[in-house]
Amino acid sequence: MSGGQSALGVRHVSKSFDLGKGRTVEAVRDVTFDVEGNSICVLLGPSGCGKSTVLRMMAGLETPTSGEIAIGGRHVDGPGRDRGMVFQAYTSFDWLSVRSNVEFGMKINGVPAAERRERAERFIQLVGLGKFADAYPSQLSGGMRQRVAIARTLANGPEVLLMDEPFGALDAETRWLMQELMIDVAEKTDTTMVIVTHDLEEAIFLADKIVFLSSHPGRVKKEIVPTFKSGRVADKEQLVRLSGYSDLEGELMHMMREEGRGHE
Amino acid sequence: MTEVQERSGAPHTLPDHDRSAVTPTMPRKPIFGLRTPVGRPQRVTSAVAVWALFFGVWMLASASGLVNELLVPAPQQVFATTWDLFAHRGFGSDVLISIGRVVVAFAMACAVAIPLGVMMGSFPAVEAFFNPFVSAWRYLPAPSFIPILLMWFGTGEAPKLALLFIGVIFFLITLIMDHTKNVREELVETALTLGAKRATVVRKVIFPAVLPDVVVAMRQMLAMAWTYLVIAEIVASTTGIGAMMMRARRFLKTDEILAGIIVIGALGLLFDLLFALIYRWAFPYLRTQR
Repeated sequence: MSGGQSALGVRHVSKSFDLGKGRTVEAVRDVTFDVEGNSICVLLGPSGCGKSTVLRMMAGLETPTSGEIAIGGRHVDGPGRDRGMVFQAYTSFDWLSVRSNVEFGMKINGVPAAERRERAERFIQLVGLGKFADAYPSQLSGGMRQRVAIARTLANGPEVLLMDEPFGALDAETRWLMQELMIDVAEKTDTTMVIVTHDLEEAIFLADKIVFLSSHPGRVKKEIVPTFKSGRVADKEQLVRLSGYSDLEGELMHMMREEGRGHE
Repeated sequence: MTEVQERSGAPHTLPDHDRSAVTPTMPRKPIFGLRTPVGRPQRVTSAVAVWALFFGVWMLASASGLVNELLVPAPQQVFATTWDLFAHRGFGSDVLISIGRVVVAFAMACAVAIPLGVMMGSFPAVEAFFNPFVSAWRYLPAPSFIPILLMWFGTGEAPKLALLFIGVIFFLITLIMDHTKNVREELVETALTLGAKRATVVRKVIFPAVLPDVVVAMRQMLAMAWTYLVIAEIVASTTGIGAMMMRARRFLKTDEILAGIIVIGALGLLFDLLFALIYRWAFPYLRTQR
């Protein structure tokens, strides 16, 4: 798709929220990391570590208090179609069919109808919704609605796909399928992805690189490349059988515990 | 609108929405089950029964001479009078005038309230400007304007339309604004990250998302418009249903007054039904969610 090296850089980013009456709370402190082009970067950490805030700043939905975020060398200033976002909550436009949902982004960006159709069809097929292109979102299950959101975002041709706990509301079985789908999508479309999660298994399975954030305020505790995978693994069952999997899971679990203990 | 939490099992099966099909046939449900839904036959029977009871008591009271015949005519006489009014005395044109007043005034109110309410719900700056004004007017009872409206507009159609307009518009604006604010933030943010500009977000996401609630708000406020119509026609009109009822009062024609009440009730019911149909027709995608 976008090809090239559309790396995303986060440089010394901090974010404080104004609570009113002169009080502020620091959510993120001096976060720096890079997302390599065509890779999957997972932001992992305990709840309250500000990982969603970092993602929202990448999307341009929040403004950093200090520091800078750049995509492909361009300064991020507000939301834009180069950074598509998938949320945990269902965001399907209920009044539009699956097909029109997927075409939505292209339509508002003036992509000609024929090209729109063709691209929408391709991404609907990619996420496995071919039979439901004319259904309304309300007729679909939760997992299928997230597929619609993913197809809609990808069809719009973003340089980076940002996902905020996209499978958090799904049951375990559906979540596996969706995670495997994301690997498939990453392989087939060469999309750069940044995924926020607190699910260790999900992080290890999806990540080419894990950025672990500590909590209150969020700081980068460690960057981890799960080298034991030697590339991507297409299926979840295979992953847990690899030697090295449980070591990494143990390490991450320990880090999670440590963070939790310090603040409760 | 509540979002239905669905089981997301195998991703290629549609979830079944018809839960009732799963419930096994029960041995026998008690009529007064605590919070147990009532079946269709029982519902219909109950609805008919309550009205039968009402008219039964009324007929009995009239027949037995328990009530003054002049003040409370028997139901059969009221229905006969209703028929007579339509068939021989041109009551139909009064009804049409009344309907026309409601429709015109209500359409004008909607034409202002829908765009304004959506803008106020979308842009806090717009709300900050208009809301102090709108919420103050909401607490002024519309009928208190009748004397001044009569002085400004005389006795033509204008004061009636103005009263209906004033009576409905401020509530309508507030309802639509509140519904618009309730459009989920994620929908707006999704549109923004897809590259939508502010105006596009309002037109293509916020407005279609809030539209079903707007129709519900219109349905509620139309009932209020009928109330103000009757007030306007009783106080200052020579035409329309309310005016007919006031004429009847002068000649002690209680049956005609009651006929007027019945017609107003029937019209209200009819318009409510019309809105329910519009809702079903315009928002087919909501049917599976209920």
